[in-house]
Amino acid sequence: MTKGKKFLMYAFLILMSIISVFPLLWMVMAATNKSVDVTRGRLLPGTYLIENFKNLLAAQDVGSAMLNSFKYSIILTFVSLIICSLAGYGFEIFHDKAKDAVMSVILLAMMVPFVATMIPLFRMFSSAHLLNTTVGFLLPTVSTPFLIMMFRQSARSFPHDIIEAARIDGLSEIRIFFQMFIPTMRSTYAAAMTITFMNAWNNYLWPKVIMTDAKSQTMPMVVANLTQGYVTDYGMLMLAVLICTLPTAIVFFCLQKSFAEGITGAVK
Amino acid sequence: MKKKLLSLLMVGAMTASMLAGCGDSGKSDAGTDTAKDDAGDAAADDAGDAAEGTEAAGDAAASGGENTLTVWCWDPAFNIFSMNEAAKVYQKDHPDVTVNVIETPWEDIQTKLTTAATSGALDTLPDIMLVQDNAFQKNVITFPDVFTDLTNSGVDFSQFAAGKTAYSVIDGKNYGVPFDNGAVIACYRTDMLEEAGLTIDDFTDITFDQYVENGKKVLEKTGKPLLSMQAGECDLIMMMMQSAGASLFNEDGTANILGNDTLKIVMETYKKLKDEGVLIEVNSWDEYVSSLTSGTVAGTINGCWIMASIQTAEDQSGKWAITNMPSLVGAEGATNYSNNGGSSWAVSSNCKDTELAFDFLASTFAGSTELYDNIISCGALATYAPAGDSEAYAAPNDFFGGDAVSSKIVEFSTKVPSNITGVYYYEARDAVATAITNYINGGDIEAELQTAESTVNNQMQ
Amino acid sequence: MSKPSSKMSLDKKHNMTGWAFLTPAALLIFLMSFVPMIQAFLLSFKMGKGNNLSTADPIFANYTRMFTDTVFTQSIKNTFFYLIIQVPIMLVLALILASILNNRQLRFKGLFRTMIFLPCATSLVAYAIIFRTLFANDGLVNLALVNLGILKTPYAFLTHATSAKIIIIIGLLWRWTGYNMVFYLSGLQNIEYSVYEAAKIDGASPIQTFFKITVPLLKPTILLTAIMSTNGTLQLFDESVNLTDGGPANASITMSHYIYNMSFKYVPTFGYAAAMSFLILILVAVLAFIQMKVGDKRD
Repeated sequence: MTKGKKFLMYAFLILMSIISVFPLLWMVMAATNKSVDVTRGRLLPGTYLIENFKNLLAAQDVGSAMLNSFKYSIILTFVSLIICSLAGYGFEIFHDKAKDAVMSVILLAMMVPFVATMIPLFRMFSSAHLLNTTVGFLLPTVSTPFLIMMFRQSARSFPHDIIEAARIDGLSEIRIFFQMFIPTMRSTYAAAMTITFMNAWNNYLWPKVIMTDAKSQTMPMVVANLTQGYVTDYGMLMLAVLICTLPTAIVFFCLQKSFAEGITGAVK
Repeated sequence: MKKKLLSLLMVGAMTASMLAGCGDSGKSDAGTDTAKDDAGDAAADDAGDAAEGTEAAGDAAASGGENTLTVWCWDPAFNIFSMNEAAKVYQKDHPDVTVNVIETPWEDIQTKLTTAATSGALDTLPDIMLVQDNAFQKNVITFPDVFTDLTNSGVDFSQFAAGKTAYSVIDGKNYGVPFDNGAVIACYRTDMLEEAGLTIDDFTDITFDQYVENGKKVLEKTGKPLLSMQAGECDLIMMMMQSAGASLFNEDGTANILGNDTLKIVMETYKKLKDEGVLIEVNSWDEYVSSLTSGTVAGTINGCWIMASIQTAEDQSGKWAITNMPSLVGAEGATNYSNNGGSSWAVSSNCKDTELAFDFLASTFAGSTELYDNIISCGALATYAPAGDSEAYAAPNDFFGGDAVSSKIVEFSTKVPSNITGVYYYEARDAVATAITNYINGGDIEAELQTAESTVNNQMQ
Repeated sequence: MSKPSSKMSLDKKHNMTGWAFLTPAALLIFLMSFVPMIQAFLLSFKMGKGNNLSTADPIFANYTRMFTDTVFTQSIKNTFFYLIIQVPIMLVLALILASILNNRQLRFKGLFRTMIFLPCATSLVAYAIIFRTLFANDGLVNLALVNLGILKTPYAFLTHATSAKIIIIIGLLWRWTGYNMVFYLSGLQNIEYSVYEAAKIDGASPIQTFFKITVPLLKPTILLTAIMSTNGTLQLFDESVNLTDGGPANASITMSHYIYNMSFKYVPTFGYAAAMSFLILILVAVLAFIQMKVGDKRD
């Protein structure tokens, strides 16, 4: 690669990164400032971080919201990944006309706005006594057409001769899945994990509807609580948002290597 | 089998790595006392995930048990604070009663109320909830089985400003105990007025014509508009309408938009304010607050609760003054008083111990001047007449030039003309907002009103 | 997993295994999505407010009503405007970013990737406030444009019909490009890196490599993201509510936003809201079907 091209590439990446990160920097700055300075558009770091933090802890039960959010998101991610990757694998590796048709039907499930299915779903959950439970939180989003399709698409690049070889070796289908597919598809799993964790973490409408208990509040609910009322404390709000954003950012940072620099050689 | 387990563990490990490697952010501020508990829970839930419904831990009705009142409201600095103060007042005589406040944003209360009512799960509702005044009619008429009639609850509704109770009266029955005051005030930066050779008296008991004239002077001398408003939100329109006792609906519930003379005057006045530069439209609520606190405008007109936002700009203390709003010119019944926002307490049909809820409300929000004295610090002003006579309300407020703003606002609130909110309030409000936006941008007023009326009629189907 | 009987043919056995693999997921989707969907579908033939429902007369009244509802037709136009402009730009940009970031010689890859991904992790609340602040009358964008002499006076971006829509598109691009990039990055791992090295030795330019190798091999992933983005845009809700509140004068309102208003903000009209939802289903399904036909061939 020539120097000029290299320079252009870095320039482009740096520009994109600045555009992406700028609003977040703004958020970090805002978290260290007094509310009135935030509304006046102050962009410099302030000295109000600790004050904002104290106010936030006094106003909201951040600790329990964090714990709830972690608990729900991790369980959901784990269960969801297993169920959906099994299905995606099943749809692709054993594909036939009937399964392709089922896949198309499943895709339909994500095409109806949630507002329309929320009330029937709530009726189901309340009569099954699942309000305020972890299971209630998980069930509607644990199996998603999107994840199934993602694993189905990636299973397409999983070499069939490996499967054949494993079958000849006498491995059961489920073992092929767990011992061959999962390790090979680490990058897909890592990407899926990032996305699923993020969606679970940021999920708002459904948890809000079924969690009627104050103890079950999640982080996005805490953030939403802070935007209510006649006066918004923007410094405190931005700090809460920052705290709410960090886990996803960190999860991404930790996992990005595994899905963006896949381990070649595992396949061969 | 061993290997299968291993692979399973691997997936598990990948998930766990999120915690182990990266979980510090959570640990730093999360209490550890419940951590163990949760881990156990988590494992149990994994296993039981597919087998639906055996774990019916929750579902405990949101409504409290014996001697407990569960309440939904949303602003810790304001109505939650007030509710907790009310609980303290009540507990003096009833030490065994507890009030459990669950912080729930208004939009979520609306969503949960709608969801519970339509799926028949009324047992998920709390005993008491705070309802926006503008949404009261809509909810009581649409979901009558959610609300409890308070007419004979022992609450003396005659002690409240008539304009305020009207929001929660449906078919002559009371469904809400008025809470906060939304009386409209006009706030001005006295330092800026001074530059233009004006005082607060030049803005008291005036008409919008005089307001525009004054506004032009201020604009000329200071370069600042008198007023900022959020574009596309018709707060000011609705305040102007109510100041003349006018509504977007007729008594029989039909839309009153096309051929509504007051609405036409209001729209023309609004356009004039905008065209003269006296009014500047901003994009969002945040920008609106910012225009007040950073001094890009010389004043505002809004519900009295706006004072709390203005007062966050501590460096402007003493530079603000309040008075009543300008009146419409040529409109029948025009006054200098109106209302914007505010909310009332409703008792849900899920409330098991209605006697307790009634007694609680009657002896706090509808019976205790002590409570109102306690909550004045958070800016909650009463519409409960006896409270306005107390000493706390007569105290001078230094931020607003030493004026006794609280008693002034209570006085304003008694003069607010009542009007018809209408069940289809939000539909009409949005349609009128569209009409006014198009009209400002050069649309024909009659045609826009016609469109607004047919939009509302369509949505009322 | 039970051991299949030896009598079963191999094909049949595989067939059964396949079904067993997808049953848990499919069952959950059936219960959690299709059961409520069917209920919503039945609801779409009911008229009335709140719980006061009666069978629509004529039966398709809610479906014909949509076409006389000017706000809804406006929302369809807006939504398609977003779809046609935003989705192609976003996917191309994400692909370019992913292929640059897949370069082994690049330094600080992890940092770049994380920064570009971050927008979609940001809570909606912050993102909305930040964008509104940036495009405010006295916001940074206006400040820059006025100082650079491009504008004489600040432009009220969010109160003009076209610029409000463009801001929604900018917001969507900002928020979701990094998200889509993730799928491409992970998809690229399934392409042997040696293919790229071979192409390089053969003297292929980066642009040729991009079109001849990256795009064809990523086809399954591109299809996935195309369907996802189409679906996401046709159900677009957050941006419309939080950035512009559908304004000015409904110029930027989306279909889902209007459905939400009809269900929760206004006096609830669930039958009509359900009917509008099924229109979205039909639109997404048709578009997804076309995309599948074009992109889902097994080679």
